[in-house]
Amino acid sequence: MAETRTTAGAGTTADTGTVWRPVAGRSVAGSRKASRSTRAWRVWSSAAIVVAVVLAVLIVPPLADLDEQAVHLADKLLPPSLEHPFGTDDVGRDLLLRCVYGLRVSLLVGVVAAVVATVIGTAVGALAASAGGWVDRVVMRLVDVFSSVPHLLLGIFIVAMFRPGVWPVVISVALTHWLSTARIVRAEVLSLRSRPYVDAAISGGASRWRVTVRHLLPGVLPQAGLAAVLMVPHAIWHESALSFLGLGLPTHQASLGTLVQGARSSLLAGDWWPTLFPGLFIIVPTLAIAGLAGAWRDRINPRRRSELML
Amino acid sequence: MLELRSLTAGYDRRAPVVRDVSLTVAPGESVGLLGPSGCGKSTLARVAALLHQPDRGQVVVDGEPARGWRHRAPRAQRTAFGVVFQQPRLSADPRLTLTQLIAEPLRATGRAADVQERVPDLARTVGLGTDLLGRRPHEVSDGQLQRACLARALVLRPRWLICDEMTAMLDASTTAALVAAVEEYRAESGAGLLAVGHDRVLLERWCERTVEWGELVGAAQGAAERPAAK
Amino acid sequence: MTRPVLSVRGLSVRFRMRGGTHVAAVTDARFDLAAGECLALVGESGCGKSVLASALLGLLPENAETAGAALLGDGTDLLTADERTLARTVRGRRVGLVPQSPAAHLTPVRTVRSQLEETLRELAGVRRPDLRKAAAAAAERASFPLGHLDRYPHELSGGLAQRAATALALIGDAPLLLADEPTTGLDRELVDRTVDELRRHVGDDRALLLITHDLAAAERIADRVAVMYASRVVEIAEADAFFGDPGPRHPYARGLLNALPDREFTPIPGMPPELSALPEGCAFAARCHRADTACGTLPALAAPGVACHHPVTAALEAPRA
Repeated sequence: MAETRTTAGAGTTADTGTVWRPVAGRSVAGSRKASRSTRAWRVWSSAAIVVAVVLAVLIVPPLADLDEQAVHLADKLLPPSLEHPFGTDDVGRDLLLRCVYGLRVSLLVGVVAAVVATVIGTAVGALAASAGGWVDRVVMRLVDVFSSVPHLLLGIFIVAMFRPGVWPVVISVALTHWLSTARIVRAEVLSLRSRPYVDAAISGGASRWRVTVRHLLPGVLPQAGLAAVLMVPHAIWHESALSFLGLGLPTHQASLGTLVQGARSSLLAGDWWPTLFPGLFIIVPTLAIAGLAGAWRDRINPRRRSELML
Repeated sequence: MLELRSLTAGYDRRAPVVRDVSLTVAPGESVGLLGPSGCGKSTLARVAALLHQPDRGQVVVDGEPARGWRHRAPRAQRTAFGVVFQQPRLSADPRLTLTQLIAEPLRATGRAADVQERVPDLARTVGLGTDLLGRRPHEVSDGQLQRACLARALVLRPRWLICDEMTAMLDASTTAALVAAVEEYRAESGAGLLAVGHDRVLLERWCERTVEWGELVGAAQGAAERPAAK
Repeated sequence: MTRPVLSVRGLSVRFRMRGGTHVAAVTDARFDLAAGECLALVGESGCGKSVLASALLGLLPENAETAGAALLGDGTDLLTADERTLARTVRGRRVGLVPQSPAAHLTPVRTVRSQLEETLRELAGVRRPDLRKAAAAAAERASFPLGHLDRYPHELSGGLAQRAATALALIGDAPLLLADEPTTGLDRELVDRTVDELRRHVGDDRALLLITHDLAAAERIADRVAVMYASRVVEIAEADAFFGDPGPRHPYARGLLNALPDREFTPIPGMPPELSALPEGCAFAARCHRADTACGTLPALAAPGVACHHPVTAALEAPRA
């Protein structure tokens, strides 16, 4: 359609057949363009890793039909081989299987904690911003106070109140991670709230609830969602740290943290694989998730509207 | 009658941008308020539409003094006003289509049933083609979006229209079209109008009466300074 | 005869959209701009005039494609020059930009003085001991009050911010000034003052391209007027003839002028077409009461400077007193 228009123009003016030149490669946009392929590569590899991880934790345990807890003392601390690609640990359990199970637990903890933290943070942030006045001041001062305590310390305190297990860790991670989301959401809501479209909604008879739910929260959700995804790796690290300190999951339950913790003595003896593979399982998926989140952030940045400068 | 009585308003109590200003608009009357940019006339417009709480003074709408502002104003009193602002981009929720934008006040007041009938009707009044109604704000021009914003202001059939620099960003033809749409609505409904702006030629052509911001403020200050000078 | 400061020849810009479609934002624009001349490019928002400005500054987004040429006096083509050339020798030095929203154009965390000094150092090569004096001189040139030099942009009124931006734009002594909607949001007095100042800076040896939707501002200072509609320049005329006798000859331009509150104050019926779906023939035909079958083919911007098969010939009604 655009083509026919171009030729129509050619018939009436001096030029015959318009020669279009792309702008890319010369303007400010040019420098961005250069990094584009690298960025695409990063996004796709991140996506591939995340998909592989999700498939692994969902499919492998039921399919493998192997007991990851099974102890074979005869096979203890075998280096990586075809039979045991990641080797075995100090009681002869297959490390690959342990890592997949561990990842499953860590991912579960990470995702659930991130979701809970985001819900809390969004609710608190939105409440503080839309209530304003003293409610806002009190809530945000509380957030400040909580933020001033180191996360891990607060987490240890919370975990210490319960028996070791998955849920105390989830609670501990969630309760220490909603603070930043609350701040982000509050700032977003405050900036949206002063927009004339909120004035117009009020004048159109919208209730406070309707303004918040229909006009303010939808504007905040992309930010909150991004914060949630970025929080998953953080939560996984947090879980690993708690477990490594012996405060998270019970040692017999495989999680990435307990695996690394259990491998400490082997590492001192010079056996590297029980530490390396769980360590990689912490680093690679979390980097992949963060990579995807970064791509998402680029997308929701309001740069898109300037694509068409009209 | 829309009465603004000795209003003092602003965003910092120590430095109000509107000081002791009074203005009355009779039912069906159109008043143009002229003032330079940044003088406080937009703040006055927001106070008049019950969208900003004044520090002092009173707004009386059809004999009923306003007791609350923004959400604290009774819904019937708030919706007596239709407001149109200067920048359509900031006045439209970017996620809503133009139809949803225009229909929003109907839905907010529990009259979703009227959407089918009112929205196409209003789109015609403000000169919006039906093919545009499914689009979102970033897919239309400033002029088209401002037409939708005017339709939204008219959808609840307000008795008062407050237009704050409604056409400052628009070209001559769109300006004339929007003013014509406002006047068509006023002729048919008998609504009153407070049009705030800096374009003397426009407001004098549009409104029955124009008031200078300087006069409003000057009168009040003169009155206030006299006892002080004594 | 000296060469024009800017010669735009068949400049077109289109945007590649998702799905392989194109949006034609500027189509085959042609005009020359001589030293000492002010050309006002007028049209409604979305007609493509800001895209034209961005093209001249090399600031188009990466999904844009261009055609034609925009030659400076020395033969540099603004459309094909690489970023290095544009940054080092064109922007500020040969093309000065007076921006649309000066408050956003100025760096918020630095005072006007420090921004002037930096620009002087970069563009004029002024050395440190002379910077202070040069900054004051640059400010004075744009009537920016010296007492406000140490203020931050947010502490300035709209008019002063506009003057600060103008002062910055003038430092490079660029022969071509490009003002993109320099008066948006300013009140009438400030608009008059701003455009008068711009006109004064043009003098005899520079040229000004004023892009605006404000016809009154255009009337005040322009020597010639170019009217843009749906991506095309549909009329170019001497300002005296356009605003006075015999008036605009393109029905769209005439409708635009008649919509002014000091004239008939009647809108042009209908709305402009989408740039992504322009008709084959004249884009204004659907809104034009003079249109007939001839308008199914695209009219060329012919010798008298009107792209219309049926240009208006009657004299324009004079504005009301």
